[in-house]
Amino acid sequence: MKERVLIANRGEIALRVIEACKELGIDYVAVYTKEDEESLHVKLAEKKYRISDYKDMNDLLAVADEAKCTAIHPGYGFLSEDYRFARRVVKRERPLIFIGPSWEAIRDLGNKLFLKKLAKELNIPVIPGTTQPIFNEIEAELKAEELYETLNFQGNYNYSLMVKAAAGGGGMGIAEVRNLDELRPVFRKIRAYAKRFFGDEGVIIEAKIPYIQHVEVQILGSKHNEYVHFGTRNCTIQSLSKQKRIEIAPGFLYDRGEYGFDIKKIENEIINYSLKLAKYFKYDNVGTWEWLITPEGKYFLMEVNTRIQVENEVSAKISYVNNKQINLIKEQIRVAFGEKLTYSQQDIKFKGTSIELRLVAEDTKRGFIPLSGTITKFFWTPKPWLSVRTHVPQDKFYNIPTQFDPNLALAIIYGDSFESAKKRALEFLEDVKIEGTTSNGERLITNIEFLKEKINWLYKFIPA
Amino acid sequence: MEIEYPELNLLLQKFRANPYKIYPVFTPHTGYIKEFKVKEGDLVKGPTGKWLEKPGSPLFILEREKNTKIIRAQISGIVQNLKMEFLNKFVEAESCVLEIKHQLSQEEIISEILLSALYIIKAPETARYVLSPSLALKLEKEGIGKVKVKTGDELLIMTFMKRETPIYLSQEGDFVIYRLYFTPFQLIQKDQPLIGLCLEEKLPYLEKIVKKIKKEWPSS
Repeated sequence: MKERVLIANRGEIALRVIEACKELGIDYVAVYTKEDEESLHVKLAEKKYRISDYKDMNDLLAVADEAKCTAIHPGYGFLSEDYRFARRVVKRERPLIFIGPSWEAIRDLGNKLFLKKLAKELNIPVIPGTTQPIFNEIEAELKAEELYETLNFQGNYNYSLMVKAAAGGGGMGIAEVRNLDELRPVFRKIRAYAKRFFGDEGVIIEAKIPYIQHVEVQILGSKHNEYVHFGTRNCTIQSLSKQKRIEIAPGFLYDRGEYGFDIKKIENEIINYSLKLAKYFKYDNVGTWEWLITPEGKYFLMEVNTRIQVENEVSAKISYVNNKQINLIKEQIRVAFGEKLTYSQQDIKFKGTSIELRLVAEDTKRGFIPLSGTITKFFWTPKPWLSVRTHVPQDKFYNIPTQFDPNLALAIIYGDSFESAKKRALEFLEDVKIEGTTSNGERLITNIEFLKEKINWLYKFIPA
Repeated sequence: MEIEYPELNLLLQKFRANPYKIYPVFTPHTGYIKEFKVKEGDLVKGPTGKWLEKPGSPLFILEREKNTKIIRAQISGIVQNLKMEFLNKFVEAESCVLEIKHQLSQEEIISEILLSALYIIKAPETARYVLSPSLALKLEKEGIGKVKVKTGDELLIMTFMKRETPIYLSQEGDFVIYRLYFTPFQLIQKDQPLIGLCLEEKLPYLEKIVKKIKKEWPSS
C-alpha cells in the first residue's frame, strides 16, 4: 500500500514537508483553517481539508481516516510536543504512524525534572539545582543554602540562584535571587504565581549561570538502534522571551582562539553525552539536545526538543553523505516508516558554515512585541548561496494573521568559512526590503536592524 | 428635519417588501452528518434564554471520532436549502449545511438600519477591546447618545498578545456616540462593529426614522 502523510501544520514547515514527500514519492494531504485559505501550502496541495483548528486532535484524526492517511507529520509547534496526541495516533483502532519520536520519549524527555533526574543517573552534567519540586519555605531555604555554598566554593566568581516554577516555561515564573535573605519572599511570590498560572505549586531552585553560549546537538535515531549526529548549532542570539533569532552551524568557531578551553574536546563530549542519552532511551527520530556552555568550558544539559526544529536546515546545509547534502525532514519521514539509515557516522562529512536569520515583524526596542498588519513589499535579490523560506507571497499584499507567530521568513546563508558566511549575511540584510503598515497605520518594523547588530556578536559569551 | 437620506428610505422600503434575513448554519468541525432532525420548511426556534430551557431546536447530528454532537438552531425561522446529499457523508469544518430564513423583529430592523446609517468603527483585527478610560467615565456620567467626540479623539484601546494600541477617530466631523456593540475584554473578530457614531446634524433625522419603525412594526 502506498503511504500517505497528513501534514498537520501550516506555513514554512508545511511547505518543507510537501517538498520532502514529493521527493520521496509519498502522497500527502494538507489541512487548513479559515485564516489560511490563501496560504501557499493550501495552493500547493492537491488534496486538502478545512478544519476548525490546527490544535484540534479530533479534527486531524477524522481527516486522516477520511483521506485514508497512514501517517501524521506534526511539524513544529502546535501538537508536535504533545505526548497525548502522539499516543492517541498510535494507539487507536486504526493506528497511524506518528512521524516523530515515540510518545514515551516525548513525555519523559519533555519533562525538565525527569530529564534532570535521568541525566544525573547517567552522569550527564545538568544545571546544578534541586531535582524535586519544593513546596515548603524552610525546605527551600535549606536547599538554597546548600546549593549556594557548593556553587561558590567550586567556582571562581559569584553564582546567584534562580527560583523557577516547576511547571513553567517560556520565561514565565522565574526570578533571580542574589542574596539568600531575599529567598523567602521571592519563593512565596513564585509559588503563588505557579499556583495561579500553572495549577501546580512546585518550585525548583537552580544556579544562575552568568555568561553562556547556547549550543545544540542534532541527533537522528532509527528503529534499528542506529544513532548518528549532524554536528552542533549555535543559537546564542535570542529575543527577550528566549526565542531564537540567529542560528549557526557548526556550533563552535574552530579556527579562532577566543575560547578558554579545548573546543574539539568539549564538542566531542557534549555530542557523546547526547548520543548516550539517545541510546539509553532508544530514541528513534530527529531530536535536539540543548546545552549551555560557560567561558571556562563547563557545560550543562538544558533540555531536549523531541521534534524537528525550525533551524534544521542550517545543519542540513553543512552535512554531506556520499557528497550529497542531507535533508533532515526526508530522513525523519524515512526513519518513521521503519527504514534503515543506510549510512553510519563515518560517512557524514561537514563542510562550510551556515547561518539562519529569522525575519520577524516585531519591535525589538520595546520588548520584542509582535506586530501585525499588511506587508506591501517583500523583496530580496536571489543569490546562489542564499535560500529564503517564506510563506509570504512576493507578488501581492499579505496580511499577517494575529493568531500565529509573526514569523515572516527564514533566510539560510551558506559560506565556505565563518567569515564569508558572516559577510554574506550582512550583504543579505542590507539588500532585503520589507515594507508595510501595522494595523495601527504606522510603518511596519522588523528585526533587521537587530540582526545586523547581533551578527557581530556571534560566538561571544553573552549574559544569560 | 429637511435633511433627507434617500438610501435609508430605500433600505426601509426593502425591509417592508421582504422583512427576512437568511442565516446560514455551518458545521463547527469536521465529521459525519448522521441524521437530520428537520425537513425543509420546518419552523425552528432559537434559544430565548429562559430558565431550564433547552437552547434551540435540534437541526442535525454530527459525529466525529465516536463522539456525537447535536447542532441546534441559534435563531428562530424557517429551514431552507437543506443539503440532503450531506447525509452520512464526511463534511469539512465550516461547510454550510442549511439556511434559516428569519423574520426580522422591530429591534432587529432598527439595528440593521442603524448599521448602515451610522458611521461604524470596525475592529481592525481579532483582539480584545476596551473604551478609553476618559470616554468610559464620560459615558457613565452622561449616558449613551449624548457624549460628543471629534476627529483625533482616542476612542478605544486594543489589547492582544501583550500589545496595547490606542484607536483614534480618523473621520472628519463632530459625532455623537449612539451605539456600543461590544463588551469590554471580549474577543472580537476582525471587521466586527465596535462603536456606532452619528453625525450631530444627522441625529434628529435618525431618531425620526427609529420612531417611524417603532410605529410601523409590531414589537415582539
